Amino acid sequence: MTLAHVLILSALLFAIGVYGVLARRSLIAILMSVELMFNAANLNFVAFNHFLHPDNLWGHGIVLLVITVAAAEAVVGLALVIAIYRNTQNLNAEDLHLLHD
Amino acid sequence: MTLETGIFYGLGGLLLILSLLVVTTRNLFRGALALSTALGVMAGLFVLLGGDFLAAGQLLIYVGGVMVLILFVVMFVQTPALFRAPQTNRRWIPALVLGAGVAAVFIHIFYTVPMPEETLAPAAPTSAALGKLLLGDMAVPFEVVSLILLAALVGALVFGLEREL
Repeated sequence: MTLAHVLILSALLFAIGVYGVLARRSLIAILMSVELMFNAANLNFVAFNHFLHPDNLWGHGIVLLVITVAAAEAVVGLALVIAIYRNTQNLNAEDLHLLHD
Repeated sequence: MTLETGIFYGLGGLLLILSLLVVTTRNLFRGALALSTALGVMAGLFVLLGGDFLAAGQLLIYVGGVMVLILFVVMFVQTPALFRAPQTNRRWIPALVLGAGVAAVFIHIFYTVPMPEETLAPAAPTSAALGKLLLGDMAVPFEVVSLILLAALVGALVFGLEREL
């Protein structure tokens, strides 16, 4: 297991997340794909910390911050999803064009 | 192939399969379950990369907190008609091409940019040093995150209230 292995895994994971964000219709599925992309970035932070700078822990600290911010993002995002669902009974991202027409 | 590499390949393959399931399955509930398993597998990868405290935090915050929230919302809003309908929009082929392009560019960058020499430290518990780092050098981001959490709490309450937008 070298740094390149982990980086390729996280690149593939990030690409899957990009595809999910762009192609999925449901808002919840888009949020879940965003979580995948957060985790790909976290994997990179930990891998660089482990393989290149084993004498300090900044990568781990930043990952903790990212996890916390992702939790806050998920909470606000899901509250928005519930509010949208309560008002429109619809969670398809392509049908939400209230400001458009 | 060492034991470490074998475990890495096993966890990595499982992670990729589960995340593909997250972005392709029609039933959102299954997708959310696959995502929570994928986040647990990610905690295993953190352990493999020497992050014992991070793995515990990942399990507690993501699998225990965020995923339970997502599962609740999925159960609130999902109707049987919803998960029989196609779950991708009309432009999924460009999205697939863009995703593959992102992966290709990242992998190309990782192979062409010269990396410093890899040095491996012996595996050791990180929680004590991480605590000193968070309350020492990283004190400002640590406090800013508490503000973000407060803002998220208030925001979730505001959006979740029972009233018309």
